[in-house]
Amino acid sequence: MMDTPNHKSNQDPLGDYLWDRTGEPEPEIQKLELLLGELRHRGPVPVLPVESLRSRWALFANTWWIPAVAAVAAMALTVFVTFLMLRNSHTQPATVGWDVSRLSGTPQIAHNTISGGSNRLAIGQTLETDDASSATLYSSDIGQIDVDPGTRLRLLTMGKSLKKVALDRGTIHAYIWAPAGQFVVETPSAVTVDLGCAYTLHVDDSGAGVVRTTMGWVGFKLNRHEAFIPAGAACATRPKIGPGTPYFEDASETFRAALSRFDFEDASAEQRAADITTLLTQARRHDALTLWHLLSRVDDAQRARVFDRLKALAPPPAAVTREGVLRLDQPMLDLWWNQLGFDDIAIWRHWEHSWPGVGASSAEK
Amino acid sequence: MGIFAMASSGDSFDLPAQTETFVTGQTAPDSSDDAALVRAAQRGDRTAFGQLYQRYAPMVHGVLLAKVPTSTVDDLVQDVFIRALRRMTALRKCASFGAWLAAIARNLANDYHRRSPREEQWPENDSQHDIAAPPVNTDSRTQAIRILQAIRGLPDAYREPLILRFVEGMTGPEIAARTGLTPGSVRVNLHRGMQLLRASLRPDSRQIEQENS
Repeated sequence: MMDTPNHKSNQDPLGDYLWDRTGEPEPEIQKLELLLGELRHRGPVPVLPVESLRSRWALFANTWWIPAVAAVAAMALTVFVTFLMLRNSHTQPATVGWDVSRLSGTPQIAHNTISGGSNRLAIGQTLETDDASSATLYSSDIGQIDVDPGTRLRLLTMGKSLKKVALDRGTIHAYIWAPAGQFVVETPSAVTVDLGCAYTLHVDDSGAGVVRTTMGWVGFKLNRHEAFIPAGAACATRPKIGPGTPYFEDASETFRAALSRFDFEDASAEQRAADITTLLTQARRHDALTLWHLLSRVDDAQRARVFDRLKALAPPPAAVTREGVLRLDQPMLDLWWNQLGFDDIAIWRHWEHSWPGVGASSAEK
Repeated sequence: MGIFAMASSGDSFDLPAQTETFVTGQTAPDSSDDAALVRAAQRGDRTAFGQLYQRYAPMVHGVLLAKVPTSTVDDLVQDVFIRALRRMTALRKCASFGAWLAAIARNLANDYHRRSPREEQWPENDSQHDIAAPPVNTDSRTQAIRILQAIRGLPDAYREPLILRFVEGMTGPEIAARTGLTPGSVRVNLHRGMQLLRASLRPDSRQIEQENS
């Protein structure tokens, strides 16, 4: 069984019992279903606390008074709004931002220590935690960000389709439920784009960073340099260089060291060739993730080697040709990516098309 | 204190008749239908919230089971829905309900670990399950707990899909629809997690075979 199957089950004529119970049942999986099924949810019908829907809405059961109250309220509102408009033609927008809760220590918003109650990080403001402080940000439409000690985070925008924060240094853990592509984190060396996921992002004092994806996948971008990081994988980034090549965190130390040298060190041609050899020989089936990214990062002379190894590990679809890949034909590379089974790259291409300027210049700042 | 203890009789949700089994087999749930239920629940429709509970409780249960002791899970499932109910009106993107709910569940699980002393985080033994679970074969339950522990030993990314698949009986498309994750990542994590689980259980399998021979 392939460990990174394409998710389009209609391309799998034999079915995939683990995925959707199609095809031949696998006895081992059936045994797991039988055994673990004993722990299935059988919880009792839940019970509402006193301040439940009932109490909130019971007030409206007798409605005879509602029209009268509504009319009075409407008149009062009209007078109030008219007063405000006459007094100040520049209406103030409602404060948008993230709700912030203190987890420990003395986190600060705009240099003011936040209390234990409700706080808000507004656009343009900065949240800072010292070495003994941590906080959590919450937005019901976007997600939650846990902020570790030693972090500086700024809220840049809260647009309808794009919400941006800047992580200057420190560590955040993001759990995002907004649609893919809407939540973006700028760092000194790249931007991360949420593609439906949970991830941890760390930036050190030099501006170098690393993203580790727990669920879903993340896009990492600087100018035309991009990387896609699925769950279980990580990717480093450096100022003025941008995202390195993503790798699965269970890769060997040798593999990771070779990749780090290849991505970020000014090594000799011989050393780079030796590192590529290490990567190709040590790559496992799911390290196709790394090799696919390498295709567009190696020079022309090495690309054929990467192609051959990637083809052996994860054969491309019929429409993808060697010649096309060697000349870095984008549609062919995208087709091959989709065949790897990590996720549909169309999500990313749509995002890039929608926000061409995002991630184009963060390293130059 | 769990929700059970807080409640007075007669405050339960208006659950609809059991017209739907969660494990539907082949097709993912209809998210537009769920969005309509979310909108209705936001307007105070108790039956709609009850239906959402019925549809999403197994997902929440699975997410929690991946992170906290079995004996705690049922109470936390209720806490998740109570918390969701209180914040319901703030949710503007109804289609994100599942992902939002899953995030609440993960947060509550994290809170549990923050509150609990390290040594009390995984107090799994059979005696604790006897309270909530129906009587079952003790051997198979012990085996189930052992496998559950093996799954909990895997990286975060693989725990949830495996537990939702094997414990809650959901298919991959259902897991994706309920949690808001993309089908691609769920499928990858299911397969890769299964490989790791096989490797993790292999010594146990040999031991069981040796004991039986």
